[in-house]
Amino acid sequence: MKRKNLLIVGLISLLMMALLAVAGCSSDNAEAPEGGATPPADTSIRIGGSSTLSPIIAKCADNFTEEFKTWDKVDANLPAENIVIFVSTGGSGFGVKSTIDGTFDLGLVARTLKDEEKAELEGGQTNQIGSDVLTIAVNPNNPITTIKPDISREELKNIFAGEITTWNQLDPALPDKAIIVAVRDLGGGASEVFDTAVMKGTPISKDAQQIPSMGALAGKVMENDMAIGYVSSGLVNQNADKLFALSIDGIAPTLENIKSGEYDIGRPLLIITKSEPTAKQQAFLDYLMSDKGFAVVEDLGYIPNN
Amino acid sequence: MNRTITNTFIKIVSFVIAFTCSLLIIAVFLFILRESLPIWQMTNPLAFISGREWSPVFEPIQFGIAPMLASTLWVAFGALIIAVPIALSCAIFLAEYAPDWLARLLRPVLNIITGIPSVVYGFLGAAVLVKFFEVRFQVASGESLFAASIVLAFMVVPYIVVNSESALRAVPEEFKLSALATGVSKPYVTMKVVVPMAKRGMLGSIALAFGRAAGETMAVLMIAGNVLRFPESWFSRGEPLSALIALELGSAAPHSSHYQGLFAAGLVLIAVVTIINISINYLVKRNELVKY
Repeated sequence: MKRKNLLIVGLISLLMMALLAVAGCSSDNAEAPEGGATPPADTSIRIGGSSTLSPIIAKCADNFTEEFKTWDKVDANLPAENIVIFVSTGGSGFGVKSTIDGTFDLGLVARTLKDEEKAELEGGQTNQIGSDVLTIAVNPNNPITTIKPDISREELKNIFAGEITTWNQLDPALPDKAIIVAVRDLGGGASEVFDTAVMKGTPISKDAQQIPSMGALAGKVMENDMAIGYVSSGLVNQNADKLFALSIDGIAPTLENIKSGEYDIGRPLLIITKSEPTAKQQAFLDYLMSDKGFAVVEDLGYIPNN
Repeated sequence: MNRTITNTFIKIVSFVIAFTCSLLIIAVFLFILRESLPIWQMTNPLAFISGREWSPVFEPIQFGIAPMLASTLWVAFGALIIAVPIALSCAIFLAEYAPDWLARLLRPVLNIITGIPSVVYGFLGAAVLVKFFEVRFQVASGESLFAASIVLAFMVVPYIVVNSESALRAVPEEFKLSALATGVSKPYVTMKVVVPMAKRGMLGSIALAFGRAAGETMAVLMIAGNVLRFPESWFSRGEPLSALIALELGSAAPHSSHYQGLFAAGLVLIAVVTIINISINYLVKRNELVKY
């Protein structure tokens, strides 16, 4: 009996090793450049990156799958396979990184590309589906919404640099409470945009709370009466009763002001590929860059690129 | 004959598997070392550890992880301060005093608690604990290292209880019986005979808990507050190393100095946990030499 057990254990371990070996070989194959006439039968499209852009693309992917179901209905030249599109998140930097190393077919980036990234992506496409602006959001319960709904760029900079630390330093009528500054992680897409447009190299206050995603940052401002943060216009529009966007130098982040370029704390929403997209990827890209894609961008509160 | 062949076969298989596992750990370590190498050439390790400025992207570029290292230590030791007394008492109760039916009921519960994903704890902590601090203590924002420690304490208690209890149960029955036969009370036997004999296992479980608390990411990311200021007390906000890495690795461009800096921070985290584990083991060994 005992020996039988031992044998089974041995067999299982052998099996596992065999599996490992197979897995090792297959990943080697995947890494090898595609030499044959037919690329490996990879039927899905993998997309990921910016946490701002991924909900838009996920919605588009849903609509796309819903509308066409199989690829041959998109384009008669494509095989009759089910459409499978994976959309994940992880941040703009992660999107670029994973597109370059081949984890994602399409990368989502919510900032301008750096020169070294452009060099790596030379063989591919960069499409701008729309723009996002960062509004300076506060909680609607904060009296600033009625007392001082318009702040100057200088005041904004001082708040985020930690020079102005309590609300009554901004206006004596405001409460004597600490300002909770909420930012995205330094080096992320949004914080770069904010640095270029507002901080211009001044370091963000050390007391600023770094929050891992745009959604969580909006959540922080929605929950905390004394918080201020830069929140995507999309999230402000989706939660109009829970977030209040301040005007900067008298310019409110309205659609007209954003489109005319007067409100300029913004960033492009990009979809990138490393090399020329496959027919399927191109079909989906075309869909994204059509009126149907732009409609979703606008629905979710961002500014479409049409 | 057949039997010896099977035995050798199993022996070889086990050896290969064990060897592969150790190799994996070494490989991970070497990989982190390799990725962080340029940082060690740029700044000296002491400056890296004691520097208070972390500015990986904007000029002037500086790498100093003292605030994060201090946050990690506050959070992890804080969690142990809260968890150890509760957990050890619980283990002693379960091993020595609890009626059988109660122990049989509690043990599976503890095992289930160890299986709860940390993001759930983090979410609960962020939704309940952070809010509680805001309302109860009128602070502007409820995140703090203390709040993170409380949540981590919840997470490590079951580890300490389960491991300490098995150490206590491993003390041979004869020792307890002979001690009891001398006429001393049960608490006396527990504290003077059973606990000292199980000390090694109990300390080991605490070392394990420390490693887990120091490396835990999701829960502290959601509760510790993530500010770059050096944490002056347990009640300040801070950004433990694990949270730093989780926050910034996504946006760091590959092979930039930012990316290498984060790997260097990871290396420091591994080193700290290893050093503390080794010192606890050393303490245990030294204790034993004195005793016998």
